[in-house]
Order: sequence, then structure tokens, then C-alpha cells
Amino acid sequence: MEEKLKLDPASFEPLPKADDLDNEKIAAPSLTFLQDAWLRLKKNKGAVISLFILIVMFVVAFGSTFFISHDDLIRSAPQYANLPTKIPGIDINGLNGKLKVAGEWVDIYERNGVPSDVHFILGTDYLGRSLAQRIIYGTKISLIVAVAATFFDLLIGVTYGIVSGWKGGKVDTFMQRVIEVISSVPNLVIVVLMLLVLKPGMTSIICALAISSWTTMARMIRAETLSLKNQEYVLAARTLGESPHKIAWKHLVPNLSSIIIIQTMYTIPGAIFFEAFLSFIGIGISAPQTSLGVLLNDGQKSFQFLTYQMWYPAIVLCVLMISFNLLGDGLRDAFDPKTRR
Amino acid sequence: MRKYLLKRIFYMILTLFLVATLTFFLMKLMPGTPFTNQQKMTAEQIQIVNEQYGLNKPIWQQYLLYLAGMVHGDFGTSFQFSNQPVSYLIASRIGASAQLGVQAMIFGVFFGIIIGSVAAINRNTWIDTTATVLSIIGKSVPNFVLAVLLQYYIALKLGWLPVADWNGFVYTILPTIALGVGPLAETSRFVRTGMVDVLNSDYIELARAKGLSKFGIVYHHALRNSLIPLVTLIGPYTVALMTGSMVIENIFSIPGIGEQFVKSITTNDYPTIMGVTMLFSTGLVLVILLTDIIYGIIDPRIRLTGGSGE
Amino acid sequence: MKLGKYAKLGAVVALSSLVLTACGSKDNDKTAGNVVNWDESGELPGMDLSKATDQISFTMLGNTMEGLYRIGKDSKVEPGLAKKTEVSKDGKVYTFTLRKGTKWSNGDKVTAQDFVYSWRRTVDPKTASQYAYFFNGIKNADKIIEGKLPVDQLGIKADGEDKLVVTLERPIPYFKLLMGFPVFFPQSKAAVDKFGDKYGTASKYMVYNGPFKLEGWTGTNLSWKLQKNDKYWDKKAVKLDAVNYKVNKSSTTAYNQYKSGELDASPLSNEQAKQLKNQKDFVEREGAAVAYLQFNQDSKDATMKAAMSNKKIRQAISMSINRKSLSKVIGSGARVPKGMVPDKLANLNGKDFVEMDPVVNGIKHDDKEAKKLWSEGLKEIGQKELTFSILGDDTDGSKKITETLQSQIESTLPGAHVTVQNVPFKTRLQRCDTGNFDTVISIWGADYADPISCLEIMESTNGQNAGHWANSEFDKYINLSRTVDANNPTKRWDDLVKAQKVLLDDQGVAPIYQQASAWVVNPKVKDLVYNAAGLNYNWKNAYIEK
Repeated sequence: MEEKLKLDPASFEPLPKADDLDNEKIAAPSLTFLQDAWLRLKKNKGAVISLFILIVMFVVAFGSTFFISHDDLIRSAPQYANLPTKIPGIDINGLNGKLKVAGEWVDIYERNGVPSDVHFILGTDYLGRSLAQRIIYGTKISLIVAVAATFFDLLIGVTYGIVSGWKGGKVDTFMQRVIEVISSVPNLVIVVLMLLVLKPGMTSIICALAISSWTTMARMIRAETLSLKNQEYVLAARTLGESPHKIAWKHLVPNLSSIIIIQTMYTIPGAIFFEAFLSFIGIGISAPQTSLGVLLNDGQKSFQFLTYQMWYPAIVLCVLMISFNLLGDGLRDAFDPKTRR
Repeated sequence: MRKYLLKRIFYMILTLFLVATLTFFLMKLMPGTPFTNQQKMTAEQIQIVNEQYGLNKPIWQQYLLYLAGMVHGDFGTSFQFSNQPVSYLIASRIGASAQLGVQAMIFGVFFGIIIGSVAAINRNTWIDTTATVLSIIGKSVPNFVLAVLLQYYIALKLGWLPVADWNGFVYTILPTIALGVGPLAETSRFVRTGMVDVLNSDYIELARAKGLSKFGIVYHHALRNSLIPLVTLIGPYTVALMTGSMVIENIFSIPGIGEQFVKSITTNDYPTIMGVTMLFSTGLVLVILLTDIIYGIIDPRIRLTGGSGE
Repeated sequence: MKLGKYAKLGAVVALSSLVLTACGSKDNDKTAGNVVNWDESGELPGMDLSKATDQISFTMLGNTMEGLYRIGKDSKVEPGLAKKTEVSKDGKVYTFTLRKGTKWSNGDKVTAQDFVYSWRRTVDPKTASQYAYFFNGIKNADKIIEGKLPVDQLGIKADGEDKLVVTLERPIPYFKLLMGFPVFFPQSKAAVDKFGDKYGTASKYMVYNGPFKLEGWTGTNLSWKLQKNDKYWDKKAVKLDAVNYKVNKSSTTAYNQYKSGELDASPLSNEQAKQLKNQKDFVEREGAAVAYLQFNQDSKDATMKAAMSNKKIRQAISMSINRKSLSKVIGSGARVPKGMVPDKLANLNGKDFVEMDPVVNGIKHDDKEAKKLWSEGLKEIGQKELTFSILGDDTDGSKKITETLQSQIESTLPGAHVTVQNVPFKTRLQRCDTGNFDTVISIWGADYADPISCLEIMESTNGQNAGHWANSEFDKYINLSRTVDANNPTKRWDDLVKAQKVLLDDQGVAPIYQQASAWVVNPKVKDLVYNAAGLNYNWKNAYIEK
């Protein structure tokens, strides 16, 4: 029964010195928090695709500034009005300049006597302006609104949250009451009041968002600051006499970054939706400027005849919103240690 | 509890007072009068109308009168309708909006819970993936786009439901769906996340060990605990429904308060704007208070001490 | 476990509430008999005819009430409550004999007293009627509105129950036409007193004496009904049982309802109109309003004053406007104007005013001529170039117009620099009043189907004449039409035709478009009367072809 333990004398030889250290070595390269999150984000296919789509959209929308001038947007070409999609070389009904009129496919380009070398990839609107150009410009406006809203979210929300959480006591109570008051007014009401005082347009939409959108961010930042405040390293910094500004900037902000990034990802689609909504009901951006909301509103007016005029901007808007939502989810999973598996 | 309630109600009134004051002075900054035909009226007539509307008094008096009136539910006379008090306008319009809002909320939450639970139980299967994709899409498609599409394809092309109008239940189906899809998507995501957490917890393991059926576990244990946090979403849903009602009511020609709000904005009907603003704010403040109380009752872990403080 | 029960309960409540509402649903009552379903773009604001200010109210009043006359096809006067009308030789005293036995919907008799009461109520400054100015010309009306005379001094008297005597300050040639406008309809004092503050705020707080009664209107809702009035004196002529009105604020929804058969008519947006204009149910309705450019001849800026007072410069600006392409830009909301008076507004013996002596000057487009006049004009005022602004409303439509004008003028006239100012409606009116503009786009809608309504606003003393264009010849013709020729229709029209010619030859203003609207209407709806001015729709004789 007894098994003879065979021991090789060699086993008792000490290992070489060099190997000794290697054992303590961590195989994977050491990663910062952000690198770690990035690795996890990369595994999320949806989020990566979304990120890619968003980058492309940003580049195209803002890059278009050099190619699409304001004049292009207002210059009308009635002879090209309401042309459907025509992509040269593709002969699929719906993409070849044909449109279903009373049940039959009719080549609109031919019917309207449009020269054969003229084609619009996404068709044209009622004034003969290229829909593709207008959608790109509209996307740009929507993104500008989103970026501006984010900026105020960060500027006001983060500062407010940090100050409120850091100061504590009476200041904190007062600041929380202010947030409560602001957030119990429906943000649409704030927007409407702003629009009445200012002129409808991008400035007033951004101002209104600036006033109403930062409260959630401020609340979350404050809660996190409250818990960070009592961490040893912050206490240490305080004891060493570091100025509050420096502590906030060096210690708090980096540790708050995940919350900030995730929250931002939810602010952006909200802002985009809001702009589109306001423009759709006619109190947002107005002609000759355009935005996705304006295009949708124009498109729905002739949706019974020219479905593409609403479908295209709708698809772009939805893709934009989906991408931000997916990316937001991906980032949340990436940053949230709970989901780390 | 009582002290907490009193404190909350005090802040509620303070909020509403601030909103009322702000609205009043903003409106006073605006140009415009109650008349559409001012050029064709004599000075005598204009003076008499100004007296009728109380516009000849100094601003601070107008302000006090406005506040006093508001306490009695009097917001003045609408500029759009002749001789129609704003309070009557709101009273006659709120029914449709409330019905639509409640139906959309029930629709969204009810189906949201079902879809969310099904997705959680079948985690990481194609069912889950489909539910997730659908809820992302539901969250991302603006309700006004959805409304236009539903009206055109379901009502006009397929002829299954009436295009618009407000004449009974069949007329409410499309607007309810258009308005309810947002809450539905949000609820299903929320329920799924919550339930996945719960299903991983120890007491569920125990229940499983006891030999409870899968359905029994979900129904008796998981659902309950993952639903509690849903209460906190009622506030945001209310805001979303208020916002959504403005455009959905317009598209489906529903005699509600939301589309009237949009019209009063575009026609500078200041008394109505002020009235509806106060209505929306009061509604939201009440909903927030109620959800906080309900949450305190169903989840004893939350102590009702002081506002949202730590 | 408790929550399990709650959840069950919740589900039951949720489902049953859905079912209950389903049970509570009413059936759509559009199937019965001769019923038309009509679209309206906004709520009905009020039914108090002394206080009404908008077309929807006037249309409903016109169909549920009856005055001395009704306005029929082509703005022809048709008999109403007045059975016999005698006019004094000087045209200043009208004696109306009322039809016997006409009743209000509550059974009361309609008497001459009701007219007296109604008119006095409207001109009473306490009522603050925004249409009281319509009474201008009736004895003492202006002074009463200003509060200088008591209301019983108004030139209207009841002589017994069915005789009405109206005294005018000057002859009003279109007086009968005015009598077809709801402001001059009778009101029941008993009803006004009974309903008090609520009078005219819902269908039940009203009495009716017209072809239809209003039903189902709560004051703020989005649907109501014109129901045939069995107490109407001429009820045999009324063929429809009801007209259901539905408010759709979105033209897409309205058109979808039309397509699905829920509506018999739908207004069209520009885009819809463009797509549908060749269909047989497409209808274009002329509006009663013309938009025109006013030149500020009384500007505080000396150069601007000189420029705008120069006829050649005004003509050059007008000639550089391509009205055809402009109206294309605006779409179905506009058509090329035929002068200062709208097309299809007024006619004499079947001949439309605009066809009497078709205007060519003042509304033609001629780039070459414009260039020539422009350089001559500039030389005359000693300038090399001219920068001026166009003031317009801040609506999307108005922005399109100002932009189009800007590009048309700038690309035609060398040295012309046009700036565009789009301001809110009320600001524009205020800037017109104070003369704070160079050129402004104004829109004037005719109140009644007579050319004078559109021409008198250019009299040198009229408050609407914001540009202060003054022409003694024009004033002379307008005055002639009111005095010497007032009782001679042919001569009077001649005066008005000449007045318009003077106005446009001198380019006192530059008409730019006439308002219009596009509809699709079920072709089976027959004999519905539409008029641009005054009462839009008259349903009295309308019927559905089987």
C-alpha cells in the first residue's frame, strides 16, 4: 500500500537566484485604471462598433464644415426638387432614382428632365437641396448641442457636486435644496421659458440645457465625493496642507472620472433627443439653419409621398442615439468593478 | 415620519412658489397683449380690456393678485379663447392627457417587467439578446418618429386602427404605444439588470436547493426584490410622459393639455403657459414626494430622515 | 409573498382598466345619413359674436346664426331674415321688414329688438369688441366706441317686432354685404343675460337661429358638430343632417384621416399640395389677403427718404421681383397677385374686380427696365449705390420670402444692398407705427367682399399707410366712391379701378403675392359655398352626392 516516495536529490538544489524574482513578477503588464477599462471595453463588440460609428459621424459632421457652407444650405434649386435617391451604378428600385408613384416605379430624374450626370445619393428636399448635405449639417448641429450640453454638465455639474460634497454641512444642505428645486421643475418647462425669453435657436436650447441638465451629474458627483473625502490618501493630502483646489484636481477628479464618463454618455443622447424634439414641435432650431429635428419635421410633412425624406434623417438620428446608448452601457460595464468577471 | 413629511411639503411649496414667481416675471418681460386686433381698437376699448385683465395695475400688485388667484386655482383668462378661464381649459383637457399618461405608464411598466424578467431568466441566450437589442432600439427611437410611423403604417396602410381622434379605447391604442415604448425599454433594461443580480444571490440558491420551480423562484423571490427600485423611475417617467404628450397629442389630435401647451407657446397665450407650467411642476413635485414615501414603506432599509441627504 | 399578491392585483387592475375603457368607448357617429366630416386647423375660440375675432368663430357663427342677409356664391347677397328692404333715396336710411315667425333654438321669437340689442352690445366700449370698427359709417358708432356717446344713440331702431330702421352717416354701397357678416347678426338678450359670463363659451350656453345648431362643443375641445336646426325658417333648403368638425393641428394627420375616409376634406401643406395638385379632388382656395411691400417715404434718414420717395427707385425694386418664382418658393400658400385687390374677392355683375382693367404696371417683372430705372433713380437722388432693409415677420414662411426678395433684388439691381430683418409680428407692427423701417412686407386681408376694403388703407390719412405714400388723385377717387358715386355701383367701381391704377402706376406699394390655401375635398360634397372674405364656408345648401 505504501507508496515509496522517490525523491531526487536534485529537487533539493536551490533554484537559481534570477528565477526567484521572476516568481514575484506579474505576468500581465501593469495597467492603469483607464487602460484596464479600455481593455474591457474592447471586448464589448457593440460598444466598439458604436465608438467607431460615432468617430466616423463626428469626423464627417465636423469635417463637412470645409465643404458645406451656409450658402449651400439655403441655396435652392427648384428644378431638382424632391428627387429620390440615385446612386450611379446601382440598379435597385428605390436607389436608382425611381420612386413608387401610384403603385408603379417611375424614374423621377427622367420625368423631371434632370441631366443624366446629376445624381443625389440621398435625394433632395422640397427646394432641391441635397438631403445628404443637409443631414450631415443637421448631424453637426445635433452634435454641437450635445457637446455643449456635455460641457455645461461637466463644468457646472462636476464643480457643483465636488463643492457640495467637499464643504458639507450647511453649504451642502443649501446646495442640495437648490438642486431639488431645479429638478422638480420639468426640464421641458425650463426650456420653454428660456425659449420665450431668448429667441428660438441654438443658443437658447444650449442655455436651457445648461440650466436643467446638470443636476443628475451634480448629485452623483456629490455622493461619490462624500465617500472619497474620508479616504486615507485624501486625508493624508489634507494633513500635508495641500490646497483644496489641488486635492480636487489631483485626487478627486481622477477618481470620479468613471462616473463622469458614464454620466456624460447618458447626457448626450438626452440632449440630442431634446434638440430634435424641440425642433420637431417648432420651437427649436428654425430655417434656414437645419438640424435632425428640423429635417424630421420637414420630412413628416410629405411622408405620405416621399417616405425617404423622413426615413433618412430618422435613421441617422436613431443610429446616433443607439450608438451613444450602447457606448454608454459598454463604458458602464467597463468601469463598474461589479460586472468584472 | 411626520416631521419629515412636513419638511418635504414645505420645500414643495417653496419650489412651486419659486417657479410661479419666475414664470410671472419672465412673462412680464414678454411683448404682446391679449388682443389680436389691437390696431383696430379705440383707446377707450383698450383701457377697458386692460382693466378687465388687471393689466393697468402696478407690477407688484399684479404679482400679488396672481399669487392669490393661484392659491384658489385661478390662473386668469386664456388669451386664445374668449372668456375661457385657464383653470377650465386645464380641467377640460387634463382627462385625456391623464388617461393617455396612465395607460402608457401601465403599458410600459407591465410589458417592461415581462420582457425584462424573461430576458433575465434566459440570460445570455438569443432571447436575452433580442430583448436587449429591442430595448436599446426602443430607447433610441424618438417617440414622435415612432408616432408618425405607427400612424402611417398601422392606421393608414393596414387600416387596423383609426388614424387619429379621441373617441374611445381603440383611438388610444396607437398613442399609448408610441408614448409607452420609452418607459417599456427603460423598465425592461432595469428589471433585467436587477433580476440578474438577484438571481445570483444566495437566497435564490437556497430556494433552488429547496426544490422550488423556476417560475416559483422568479415569481416569489426575484421579481419582488428587483421591482422595488422601479419605484424610483416613476418620477423620470412622469417627466418623459409630460414631454412626450406634447407631440403625441398633436400627432394623434388628442384633446389633451400637452398639445395645448405647445399651442399657447406659439400663440403667446401667457396665462395658459403659466397655468400649465404650474400644473406640470405641481404634478412632478407630488409624484416625487409620493414615490419617496412609497419607497420608504416598501423598502424599510431606506430611512426617511432628511431629503436626499446621506 | 405579499408582493406577489400585489403584483397579481396590479396586473388585474391594469388589464381591467384597459378593458373598462374599451367598454366605455363610443361608436363613431359618422355613418348616419347626410353627414360631412370636415377638418379644422384650430380650436373654436368663442361663439360670442360681439367678441369673436377669428375665421373659425365667424364660420361657425355664420352657419348657426342668421342675420338680415346670407352671403352666397361669389359673395352674392341672399335673403336672410330681411323679407323686404327699403333704402332711402340718399342711401342713408335702411328699413328692413323681418320675416315673420322665425325662432331661436329655445323657442323664443327673433325680433327687431334682438338686432338692436346685439348691435348696441357690440359697439359698447365695455364689451371691447375687436370688430366694433365694422360699424364705422353707422350713425354715431365711432363716437360710441370711443365712449363719447351712450349706446342708445346708435343709428338703429326697432319699429315694432318686425321692422328695423338703420340710419347711416354716409351711404355705404356694400351695406347689404356687411349685413351678412356675423358681427351684425341678432343676439337674444334673454340668452346673454341668462348665461352671463358663460355666454358663447360652450355649445349649450348659446341660442341659435341659423340653418344649424352647434353641438358637442365644450369650449376647449377638438371636435364639435353643426346639427341641422329644426326651428330654422328655411329648413327645407338645408340638406345636410350634420357637419362634424375635427381639429387636426398636424396637416399630416389631417391628410391621413382624409385618406382613410375619416374626413371629407383636409388642408394641405406646401409639400402635399405639390404632390397632389393634379388630382381631381385638389382644390385651391384664394385667400382675401394680399402681401405688399411698403416704402418708407417719411424715413428719418434723409437719403432713405429721398430714395423711397423716388418713383423710379420704387418701380425698379418692384420690377426686379420675380413674383412667379417667389410664389413657387412660398408654395401653396401664395399665388401671383393681380393687383392690390385680391383675385376672386369682389365682382360686379359677374365680372371680377381684377378683370375690370387688368393691372400690368406695378406688378410686372422686367429686369432690363428695372436696371434702367434704378440707375436713373440713383442719379436723381445723387447716389451711386443704396443699402436698404426689408422688414418681415420671423415666421419660417416670412423668412423664405425676405430671403428670396433679397436675392432677387440684389442680383438684378447693381449697387443695391439689401439687408433682411425678421422680427416678431407685434414688433413689426410697432415698427410700422413708428416709421422705423426702410421697406416692410405687410399683409392686409379684406374684411368684406368689396375692393374698398383693400384700397382705403392706402389713403394718405389711413393708419395702415405706414410708408406715408400720399397721392391726392388717389384720395380723390376713393373719396368720390364714398360720396358722389356711392349710390351708383358702376361709377363707383370705375372710381376704385382708377384709384388702384393710380396707386400701382405710382408704385405707392409693390404687391408681392396673394394668399391662398390648398385642400383636398371629397368631390361628392356639393354646393358648399366658399368665399375668401367675410364668411368662409356657408353650409346651408350643401349636400352629399349619392
